[in-house]
Amino acid sequence: MRPKRRLAVDLKATANLIGALVKYLGLAVVFPIGVALLYDDPVWPFVATGAITSGFGLTLERATAGAASRVGVREGFLVVTVIWLLAAAFASLPYLFAGGNQLSHPVDAYFEGMSGFTTTGATILTDFDELSRSLAMWRQFTQWLGGMGIIILAIAVLPRLRVGGRQLLESELPGPEIAQLSERIRNTARRLWFLYIGLTAAETLALASLGWFGIDERMNVYEALAHAFTTLPSGGFSTQANSIEAFSAAAQWIIVVFMLLAGANFALMYRGIIRRQPRVFVRDEEFRLYLLVVGVAATALVVQLWSYGTAQGEAALRAGIFQTVSIVTTTGYATADFAAWSTLSLLTIFALMFAGASAGSTSGGIKIVRHLLVGKVLRRELEQTVSPELVMPIRLNGAAVDERTLRGIAAFILLYIGFWAVGAAAIAIESAIGGVDVGTLDALAISASAVGNVGPALGITGPMGSFEPLGDVSKLTMVVLMWVGRLEIIPVVVLLTRHYWRL
Amino acid sequence: MRIFLIGAGQVGFAVVEALHTDHEITVLDTEPSRLAALAERYDVATVEGNGTSRRDLAAAGVQNADLVIACTSRDEVNLVAGMFARREAKNATTVIRTSNVEYVELWRVGQLDVDFVVCSELETAHAISRIIGVPAARQTDIFAEGQVQIVEFDVEEGASEDVLGTPLREAKIPRDSKVAAVIRGDEMLLPGGNEVIRAGDRIVVIGSPEAAQAWSALLAPEGAAVRDVVIYGAGRVGSAIARVLLDQGIRVRMIEASPEKARAVAEALPDARVYNATGVDPDFLERERIGQTNAAIFAMRDDAKNLYAASLAEVHGVKFTIGIAHETVSTEAFEHAGIDVSVNPRTVTAEEIIRFAHDPRTKQVALLEGNRYEVIDVVLRDTSEYIGKAFREMPIRGALIGAVVRNGSAIFPHGDDVLQLGDRVIVFTQAADAPRVVNAL
Repeated sequence: MRPKRRLAVDLKATANLIGALVKYLGLAVVFPIGVALLYDDPVWPFVATGAITSGFGLTLERATAGAASRVGVREGFLVVTVIWLLAAAFASLPYLFAGGNQLSHPVDAYFEGMSGFTTTGATILTDFDELSRSLAMWRQFTQWLGGMGIIILAIAVLPRLRVGGRQLLESELPGPEIAQLSERIRNTARRLWFLYIGLTAAETLALASLGWFGIDERMNVYEALAHAFTTLPSGGFSTQANSIEAFSAAAQWIIVVFMLLAGANFALMYRGIIRRQPRVFVRDEEFRLYLLVVGVAATALVVQLWSYGTAQGEAALRAGIFQTVSIVTTTGYATADFAAWSTLSLLTIFALMFAGASAGSTSGGIKIVRHLLVGKVLRRELEQTVSPELVMPIRLNGAAVDERTLRGIAAFILLYIGFWAVGAAAIAIESAIGGVDVGTLDALAISASAVGNVGPALGITGPMGSFEPLGDVSKLTMVVLMWVGRLEIIPVVVLLTRHYWRL
Repeated sequence: MRIFLIGAGQVGFAVVEALHTDHEITVLDTEPSRLAALAERYDVATVEGNGTSRRDLAAAGVQNADLVIACTSRDEVNLVAGMFARREAKNATTVIRTSNVEYVELWRVGQLDVDFVVCSELETAHAISRIIGVPAARQTDIFAEGQVQIVEFDVEEGASEDVLGTPLREAKIPRDSKVAAVIRGDEMLLPGGNEVIRAGDRIVVIGSPEAAQAWSALLAPEGAAVRDVVIYGAGRVGSAIARVLLDQGIRVRMIEASPEKARAVAEALPDARVYNATGVDPDFLERERIGQTNAAIFAMRDDAKNLYAASLAEVHGVKFTIGIAHETVSTEAFEHAGIDVSVNPRTVTAEEIIRFAHDPRTKQVALLEGNRYEVIDVVLRDTSEYIGKAFREMPIRGALIGAVVRNGSAIFPHGDDVLQLGDRVIVFTQAADAPRVVNAL
């Protein structure tokens, strides 16, 4: 008989850290409580949510008190994966308590919570007016909180776990300044949060001023804040059933700008905007390719819309650019029901779901830098086919990229495609059995949209539709895809290996 | 001049050889056998001791020196010795040898407390870049801030009739240049107007850089400009050469057997194409068309490997081969085996170091043909008998003035030109006569 292998993960220390973090998460209800008081909505769902969450965190922390406080890389995987599951549960509690007919089912509530905290933007809602003002704002707010979590994840956690090429963030911006920036992770996070909060405030002001100046009657302070909350985390939840179509052209253009910013590397923006070194944008290979991808895709969509007669003039320009930016940055807003566009446009949108924006942004998906590096690796592969002796380090912004990082990226993309394919199959099969009106392309798009944290898909689950008709298996599949996709896949898959758990 | 030399290795030997007749030299080394070998051959004082020990340096009398040269093969020793020497001998000029380009850069920005830093790798790279700049040349040196070039050519059958077989008086030699010497067998001639250049001669030309190019075209009409080179070996020498050549816009391919070194050089030099290969695999040489390169440089650490790889490269059609010869004896072996040019990093380094030992009137010295001949850049003394004399009146006395530097710009003199007060002359002579020639000027 083989001797039993020892447990390699310090579960007690892991639980202790999770408890300590969840304890603070509960404090987030202060904001929706304020909103509820302002609009005379019931306060108890949020009070209960806060009490349950913080209570759970405190209990967990107390119960595991005295644990060795050494949480290493091994525990790190477990902490991030579990935190996102718990945060989604936390976000779903108010829906359970006050979600009415639409969201009170646990699967639906959890779906909405996960879609919020992973900043995906896929929704179960069909009747947006039924929701109270405070609950609607809570939905938006969970995405904004998720965005803050993602910044920490991207800057501090994933690079340490050496996940799927994420360590690039460190090497990506050479120079003493960034070395200093990443010297103390806490400091870095604080600076980038400052940028995140500043951009949110700027967007809120820009949008609200449209209301103040009478340019957009529907854009009041509430709507401005609600949409700023879901633009910068590239979330995509809206208070409106028809998303951003509900607002004026001016509001749509403003949102395009902020979506583009949300899809840029926050560390790069910090240097470029706060430190006033705009040249870093020009020098950064990923940023250039990001703009190129958006430019080419937007041109293609505009041409399609114009030539198919879907829209003309400024409307075509706006629709094409808005939808492109929204999908590439994995925000998921819409100003038009693209699910009803021509097949060519559908395929364009579908393809864009695999792009993703910059690493170090709040966007999801594969991300431009990985495409860029895989492209370079492919080129090297072809050259080495002719001359196997050639030594060609892959460079990013002039600096050579570690071969391990490149392998990590290849593994990431393979797993990404794998999860997408399996997810699409699960959704297609259940929909076929359950008689839900989801075609093959729709199922493929739903899966791609979920794992890429985009939000809307095609067909009945398009930007103006809802995921409500899907079966529970499909919804739970999407929950898993959103969770896995947000954590950049590898941390979750690592947990499935025997090596992780046992020595 | 009192010279204090730390390190009796190859560079040390070369320095002593060039300087022992005119200067008082003390050599410090940790190795008694090397000191004995040196003392046997030359009239120098030798002291056994450690260059990194301030006490040893003081005991050996470093404080009396006018010039301190630290030229061991170890950078750290040279650095420490150089710094101690500066403290002990306040008025001495300190020169250290290094094999690390980084120290040269530090010294340039004033971060290294010594007077001069000479880097073997960099000097080698520059020597090779000069050779490649003039394709038919065996060796070239730059004088007067790049305005004057000394080039040594092998004259072969097929050279232009303009210079071959015609008395120099009538030959159409390129403007602003002069044939300083003709080396025929073991004989060296300072050519007069009746001298005829024959195939098989080796000639030394002094002229402007443009003239050097023109000579190159005359002597090797098919030798087009070098656009693409292959460097064998990506060690410090190979990398330094690659860097210098890439800066001149030459396409560089490198062949390195060690995967780590290959990766490192590929990371450091994005514009070079690097192969991880031994360079002696015929399939590889064939597939990568190594034979079609303009020039191949063999900069591996092992002279035998350089020789073998060069022979193989020639078999595959490489027209122009340059070998790095680390051992003094290898130079002859390389030449015998048909390697076109060989460069010994230690000789090149010694040549740089020797510059500092000449009297203050001497600006620069180049050594030709393994130290047998010297080209010296020297300022005329105010009382020189040559001032006011036209060139045609000057007697030939075992030396030839190839160029004059007046007020910072170079002049290539004709018979009627007259030397003036304050002129600098670039003069070619036998090494043995050099002190006498400098004294006379």
